[in-house]
Amino acid sequence: MSYLLLTLLLLPLVGSGIVFTWKNASSKYVALAIALVQMLLTFYVAADFDFAPTVDSVLQYEINYPWSQFIKSTLHFGIDGMSLLLLLLTNILMPIIILSSFNENVSYRNTFYGLILLMQFGLIGVFTSLDGLLFYIFWEVTLIPIWFIAALWGQENKRFEFTTKFFVYTFVGSLFMLAGLIYVGIHSASFALTDLYNANLGDTQQVVVFWMIFFAFAVKLPVFPFHTWQPDTYTYSPTQGSMLLSGIMLKMAIYGVLRYLLPITPSAILGISGQIVIILAIVGIVHGALIAIIQTDMKRIIAYSSFSHVGLMVAGIFASAVVTLRGTFNVEGAEGALVQTFAHGINVVGLFYCCDILYKRFKSRDIRQMGGLAKVAPKFAVLFLIIILGSMGVPLTNGFIGEFILIKSIFSFNVLATVIAGLTVILCAVYLLRFYGKAMFGKGDDAVLSTARDLSAVEFSVLASIAVFVIVMGIFPQPIIDMVGSSVQFIYKSLVS
Amino acid sequence: MSVLIIVFLTAVAALFSGVFEKGKLARYIGILGLMIALVVSFFPQAEFLNQYKAMYNYSDNAALFTKISLVTTLLLFFLGGFAFSNHRSHQSELYALMLFALCGGITIFGFQNLVTLFIGIEILSIPLYVMAGANKTDLRSNEASIKYFLMGAFATGFLLFGIAFIYGSTGSFDLMNIQDFSIAHPGNIMFTIGVIMILCAMSFKVALAPFHMWSPDVYYGSPSLITAFMASVVKISGFFALFKMMSIGFVGVTEQWIDILGVFVIITLLLANVMGLAQTNAKRMLAYSSVSHAGYIGLIFFGMNAMSSYTLAFYLFAYSLATVGVFMCLIYVEKIKREASYEAFKGLAKSEPLLAVVTAISLLSMAGIPLTAGFMGKFSLFAQALGNDDNVGIVLVAVLGSAISIAYYLRLIIAMFFFKETTFKTAEKATITYNIVAVFVIASLVVFGVFPDLFAKVFAFAG
Repeated sequence: MSYLLLTLLLLPLVGSGIVFTWKNASSKYVALAIALVQMLLTFYVAADFDFAPTVDSVLQYEINYPWSQFIKSTLHFGIDGMSLLLLLLTNILMPIIILSSFNENVSYRNTFYGLILLMQFGLIGVFTSLDGLLFYIFWEVTLIPIWFIAALWGQENKRFEFTTKFFVYTFVGSLFMLAGLIYVGIHSASFALTDLYNANLGDTQQVVVFWMIFFAFAVKLPVFPFHTWQPDTYTYSPTQGSMLLSGIMLKMAIYGVLRYLLPITPSAILGISGQIVIILAIVGIVHGALIAIIQTDMKRIIAYSSFSHVGLMVAGIFASAVVTLRGTFNVEGAEGALVQTFAHGINVVGLFYCCDILYKRFKSRDIRQMGGLAKVAPKFAVLFLIIILGSMGVPLTNGFIGEFILIKSIFSFNVLATVIAGLTVILCAVYLLRFYGKAMFGKGDDAVLSTARDLSAVEFSVLASIAVFVIVMGIFPQPIIDMVGSSVQFIYKSLVS
Repeated sequence: MSVLIIVFLTAVAALFSGVFEKGKLARYIGILGLMIALVVSFFPQAEFLNQYKAMYNYSDNAALFTKISLVTTLLLFFLGGFAFSNHRSHQSELYALMLFALCGGITIFGFQNLVTLFIGIEILSIPLYVMAGANKTDLRSNEASIKYFLMGAFATGFLLFGIAFIYGSTGSFDLMNIQDFSIAHPGNIMFTIGVIMILCAMSFKVALAPFHMWSPDVYYGSPSLITAFMASVVKISGFFALFKMMSIGFVGVTEQWIDILGVFVIITLLLANVMGLAQTNAKRMLAYSSVSHAGYIGLIFFGMNAMSSYTLAFYLFAYSLATVGVFMCLIYVEKIKREASYEAFKGLAKSEPLLAVVTAISLLSMAGIPLTAGFMGKFSLFAQALGNDDNVGIVLVAVLGSAISIAYYLRLIIAMFFFKETTFKTAEKATITYNIVAVFVIASLVVFGVFPDLFAKVFAFAG
C-alpha cells in the first residue's frame, strides 16, 4: 500500500473538482499550483525509486485492492521504470501546458483547466494500472476531456466534424481493444496483468486478439493507414489540445503496446502479424515525412512529422520483439522507443508552442505568409532552433539518442527496412528546416514585423525550460535508458519464456 | 405477491381520484403507493397464497426485476408533474394506466405458467395501447396508438398460437413441465414450432429486428413520458419474459432457437444503429437507440451462465436509468420548443446545466463509456458471450454497433454543449423534483459504474 502513488493518482481528480468549481478568473493559478505539486511529487518518487531492482520485483509502490467480483477485476496499481518514465513525462509537461495558456484569454477558464486536470488523472491511471480492465477504463477516461477541449476551444467552425471523427475513430479502436481484453481475461479467469500474461492462447486466438488490441493502439498512435483523423484534429484543436494529444496521449499507445500487446500475443508477433505492423509503420514513416514536406500549414507539418516519428518507434519495438522471439535477445527497440517517447513528447509540445507564438505574430498558420521574425525576435529564434534541432535528432540533442537506438534495432531485423526507415532523418531535416527558414528568415511582411515582439516572460519560461530539457537529455541520455532498462528486459524476457 | 396487490390497489385509487381532481392527486397517490411497494419488495413475501405457487412465484429473480421496475416507474412519476402540466384532461387515468401496466410487468416477473405469462403480457400491453394515444389532438399520437395496437394484436396471436403448440405437445402450461419435456424430447417438431412462435411474439414485444418496425413510430408519436415508460419498464418486463421462457422453459432445445435469435440480434444491432445515425430528431434517435439496446441485451442468450439473470438485471437497470435521464431532458425541451430535433437542444447547457449534464452522462452510459453503469452492463454482456469461442463473431458485431452508436449520441451532446442559444433564457425553469431526479440518475449511473458490486448489495440479496 503506497499512499504516495494514491496521492499521485487522486490529486489531479480532486484538483479538477476544485478547479471546476473555482472562480473563473484565478482558476489557472490553482490549476498550475496543483500541476506543480504533482510534478514535485513525481520527482520525489523518481528520487526515491530503486533503479536496479531484481527482475521479479520491478514493480514498486504497489497498491492492490479487491474491486469487484462482478467483473473479476482488482484495483491494482504500481510503478516500474517504464511507468515512471511516462509519469515523469506527463507530470513535467502538464505544468508547461497549463503555463503555455497563461497569455491567452481562454473562455470558461475553470472548465478548461478542470478538463486538463481530469485528463491528467486519466493519463496517470493508464500509466500505473496493472489490470487490463482498469487500463481500458482509464484509457477511455482520457478521451472525454480531450474531446471536449478540442471541440469547445478549437479554432474554426469545422472543429465539430473533425473532433467527432477523432472521437468515433478512437472509440471504435478502444471498443475492439475492450473485446480483445475481455477475450483474454475470460481465458485467464481474471484481468490481473500477470494472469493476462499467462493466458495460454492458441496461435489463431493470439492473432485475433493481437489485431483487436492493436487496432486501438494503431488509431491512437497513429499507424498508417489509421492516421486520417490526426492532422485535422491537431490542426483544429487549441494549442493545449494538440500538446496533450501529441505530447502525452499518443504515448499511451506506445506504453500499451509494450505493457499489454507484446506479452499477451508473442506468437502472433513472431508470425506474419508482427511483420505486417513493421511494414505499416515504415510506410507511415516515409508517407508522413513526404506529406509533411508539401504542407504549408505549420500545424499540419508538425502533425505529419509526429506521425512519421511514431512510425519509427513502432517499427523499433516490433523489430526488437521479432528478433527476440527468433532467438536473439534484443531490447534496443523498446529502450529506444521509450527514450524517444520522452524526447518526442517534450519536443512536440515545444513545437506546438512555437506554432502558437508564430500564429500570434503573423495571424496565420500558413508558412508562406511568414518570414524574417529572427530579426525582431532573436531570443525566440534561438530557442525555436534548439527545439527544431531536437526534433530532427541532431547529435547532442534529445532526439538523437532515441532515433539512433531505434534505427540500430531495426538494423538487426532487416537492412532494407533500416535504409527506408532511416530516410526519416533526412526528410525530417528537409521539412523542419524549410519551416524554420521560411518563418524566421527570408523576406517578411514589414507591417507585421514592425509590431511583432520578442518573447514575453511566460513564453520565454516555457520555451527555455523545454530547450534545457532538449540539451541536457541530449548530453546525458543514460539515466533514462537505465530507468527503463530492467522493466523492458522483464517484458521481453516474458515474451520468450 | 403483496407488491402486486399494493401496486394494483394504488392503481385503482389513482383511477378513482380522477373523479375529484384532474391529476395531481393521482400522481401523489402513485408516488406513495410505489414507495410502499418498493419498501415491501425488500422484505420476504408472505406465503399466504401458497396455492398460487404453480402460477406465480415471487422468487429472487422476480424480486430483483420487480425492484428495478418499481424504481424506474417511481422516477417517471416524479417527472410526471412537469411532463403533464399542460395536458388538459385525463391525467389521473394516465397515471392509473401506467400503474396497471406495471402490474402486468410484475405478473410477468413471477410467472410459472404460460397462462400467467399471457395474462401478464396482456395486462402490460393493453394500457400501453391507450397511453400511446394519450395526445388525442395529435395525429401522430393516434397513429402510434393504432399501430401499436395492430402490431401488438399480431404478437398476441403469435404468442397464443405458440402456447397452443406447446400445450399440444407437452400437455401442460407449467414452465417446469415444459422444461422437462424440452430436455426429454429435443426433436419434437410441434414443440419446436411453438418455441419459434413464442420467440417471434416476444421479439415483437421487445422490438428485436425484424419485428421492430412499429417501435420508432410508436415511440415518436407517444407522449414523451409514456415513451420513456415503454423504453424502460416495458423493456425490462419483455426481456425478462423472453429470458425466462428461453433460458428455463426451452433450455433443452437451445440449438433450435439460438441461431434464429442470433440472426435477430445481428440484424437489430446493425440496422438500428445505422438508422439511428440517419435521424434528425432526438426522439426518433432514442427510439432506434432503444431498438439497438434490445440487440445488446440479446447477447444475454449467448454463453449463458449462473450470473446471467443478474447481468440482465444490471444492464436493464443501467439502461432504464439512462433512459429516464435522457427523456427528462427531452420532455423539458419538447415543452419549451414544441419539438425535439437536435436543433432544439442547442444551448441547453447554458440555461439548464444540470439537465444537460444528466443527459450527457446518460448518453455516455448508453454508449458504454467507462465509469458509467452502462459500461459495466455492456462489459458483462460481452464478457459472458466471450466465454464461448463460438460467439466472437456476434460480439464483434455488437462492438461495431456500439461504435456506430457513439456518433449519434455525440450529436446530441454537441448540440447541448457547443452552441449558444438565447431561447432558453426566458423559458420555464425545471422544477425541484426534476433536479432531484437528475441528481439521483447521475449519482446512480456513476456509483454503479464505479462500484458494480454495490448493485448486488442494494437490490439482489434482500427479499
